[in-house]
Amino acid sequence: MKTTRRSFLNLAPAGGGSPASLHAISARGREAWEAENGFRGGPVFIPPPEADEIRISSNENPLGPGPAAVAALRDAYGSIMRYPMNAQISGTDLRGRIGEMYGGKAGNVVLSAGSGEILRTAVRVYTGPDRPLVTAECSYESPVRAARYFGASVKALPLTGGLELDLDKMAGAAIGAGLVFLCNPNNPTGTVHSLADVTDFVRFVKKESPYTAILLDEAYYDYASHPGFDTGAGLAMEHRDVFVARTFSKAFGMAGLRIGYGFGQADTIAKLAPLQLTFGTSVLSIAAAMGSLEDPGYLKEEIRRNEAARKLTHDFFSSHGLDPVPSNTNFIFVNIGRPAREFREACAERGIMVGRDFPPYENTHARISIGTLEEMQRATAVFAEVLGLATADNQQQ
Amino acid sequence: MLSRRSFLSHASAGAAGLYAATFVRSRFREQLAFAAEMGIAPEEAINLANNENSLGPGEAVMDAVDAVIGPEGVIAGRYPFRFTGPMREAIAEKWGVKPQNVLIGAGSTQILVDCTHQYASREKALVGSLPTYEECFGYADLMGYRTKAVPLTDDFKMDLDQTLHACKGSGMLFYCNPNNPVATLVDPAQGKDFLMRTLDVEKNLRILVDEAYIDYVTTPSHETMIPTAIENPRLIVARTFSKAYGMAGLRVGYAIAHEDTIAELDEFHLGNSVSTPALVAANAALERDKADPDYLLNEKKRNAEARDFIIKFFADRGLSATDAQTNFIFVDVGMPIEEFQAACAAEGVRVGRPFPPLWTRCRISIGTMDEMQRAATRIATVLDSAQKMAA
Repeated sequence: MKTTRRSFLNLAPAGGGSPASLHAISARGREAWEAENGFRGGPVFIPPPEADEIRISSNENPLGPGPAAVAALRDAYGSIMRYPMNAQISGTDLRGRIGEMYGGKAGNVVLSAGSGEILRTAVRVYTGPDRPLVTAECSYESPVRAARYFGASVKALPLTGGLELDLDKMAGAAIGAGLVFLCNPNNPTGTVHSLADVTDFVRFVKKESPYTAILLDEAYYDYASHPGFDTGAGLAMEHRDVFVARTFSKAFGMAGLRIGYGFGQADTIAKLAPLQLTFGTSVLSIAAAMGSLEDPGYLKEEIRRNEAARKLTHDFFSSHGLDPVPSNTNFIFVNIGRPAREFREACAERGIMVGRDFPPYENTHARISIGTLEEMQRATAVFAEVLGLATADNQQQ
Repeated sequence: MLSRRSFLSHASAGAAGLYAATFVRSRFREQLAFAAEMGIAPEEAINLANNENSLGPGEAVMDAVDAVIGPEGVIAGRYPFRFTGPMREAIAEKWGVKPQNVLIGAGSTQILVDCTHQYASREKALVGSLPTYEECFGYADLMGYRTKAVPLTDDFKMDLDQTLHACKGSGMLFYCNPNNPVATLVDPAQGKDFLMRTLDVEKNLRILVDEAYIDYVTTPSHETMIPTAIENPRLIVARTFSKAYGMAGLRVGYAIAHEDTIAELDEFHLGNSVSTPALVAANAALERDKADPDYLLNEKKRNAEARDFIIKFFADRGLSATDAQTNFIFVDVGMPIEEFQAACAAEGVRVGRPFPPLWTRCRISIGTMDEMQRAATRIATVLDSAQKMAA
């Protein structure tokens, strides 16, 4: 079913006219898009990227990929004229390598232009007017935008008081649904559920509603520090129409390379693959991703680096009596007791770009990505100023 | 073996059904690394299967990419948006249009799918020649859209009269010119007249003009349809950096159309699909176009020389190719394509896949002159042994 233009425009921010698709731009990176292209719905208040700014708005890895990934990317220059199936490191090579990581094969993996593409494809394959998308409010919004565009219904369940996904309510809503979107760790709240809880959830849903698909979005997997957390890849191998989405945009530092993947049973992947772009990922991205998988040491270092900067940021807020949600990601979600927009604009004037509004928490909470330690030291000084917190405390950070 | 006439009548009989049955989308065609499969040294393998430019994008582009990536690669950690706007502006500048007339895709294939999704449906047919590049028909088939496939004329050109007829009440015409896989160009004057007339007669039809190979056209009077695309909201031009620009692996192309049409395509278009290196490379290539207008002309000339060589090689053996205007030829190999393909592979030359219903024709991409000379020697071996077998 095709959505008419009119019904789409109802979803888009007022203003229109800009030829970039906000609905399709992965919300991962939407702030960056707005900064660089102008927000179509309102005034552009964010300075251009050339300015001396700290961009902690799009959950990017400020250091980029590790040396092995960069070396692999540069080694692949000789394949630029070849389609990805003919490149020295082909898409199939990477799919095979990823499949291996989870005890599967190339047929268990579909590549994706970032994980945004596979999320959209999942919505297209599994949802419809009578097969709702089940998600949380709030969670990563891209699947909801896709569902509305493609004319599917949406059931968005409120978070718990601790801003966690309400797995019980979501499981109830999942019965008869087309697709459950389970973002774990959750963006923008940074909360996480243990593998045991996710396992119970998946088993319950697949037992009560065998035709309901489940997408486990693990974009922030590497940054999770909760001891019970682990990948749901085993569940994906176990159940039909359950699959994991991953991206190289976060801990792997490749947001600019547009590469991610879906992992699941071969039958599940075969349903998704036909709706993906033909050769949607570049040979350089494929090579870089392959290189990054050969260098687990860099990833560990990145996780440590993020943890230290995240701790500094978390401690800054908690020392001022603000109460960030314990984060398992490269961002924190914190109750600042005022509209996110005011905070964002005040920070932007001082060269610090933080995250957008996340309804229904837009009047109280801000999402702040974790930059380098030095960036977070500078950023927290600005937060203290903007929020009217004692700067002396900040000096001690 | 089918004669040309007999396969054409075969095609006419059940063209649309045949199309649907034989379409295999390119994404399903991923193959094992060719050299490894054939047990030959990678440097010995010659890939003439996918219409790539073996020379790549050139030094200026590679330098630009490496300057942005640098030894640290830090920029790869950031989303690519800062490079998207400048690229749209650079394309707009090249064609004297506005950035709002430009939509960037992961190769032109993304644009082809965007158009098919937006303008064809179960009711409104997609029209195109049989054969033509499969992307639009592959998507239509997947979605269950109506399709109408129009057989080619005897000289392997689009049959304009039959196409106009098929466009009646249809949603979209895919007009691939020069046409892949047959390499032919519609006569420039007739083509322009046909497009204008079709737009005029079929008020609800959209026309997607795929100009992927236009940089290789050696018919002097042929012109791009971009000026019409800017004027008429119902005609869209798709371009790619995969061919003459030598960047098939980077996945970047674009649409040029009326700004209302771009906005309409953008509703479905998956944004943020093109990577930073691809945007940087495309930008650098467009910069070079300004500084060195001969660059693309030289690439056209180089390709035409290698193309002439291989066409003559086949002609000397009594095998005729179509009037190629692309970086590939479409030639009668006088034997079933699957056998020819396998025999060439055994010699370390990868040639194009079968394009039903043209079962004895082969699409052979144009590499460098050296590659074509080496390939010719090996293809001669294949043809000689086939002749011996037949004798």
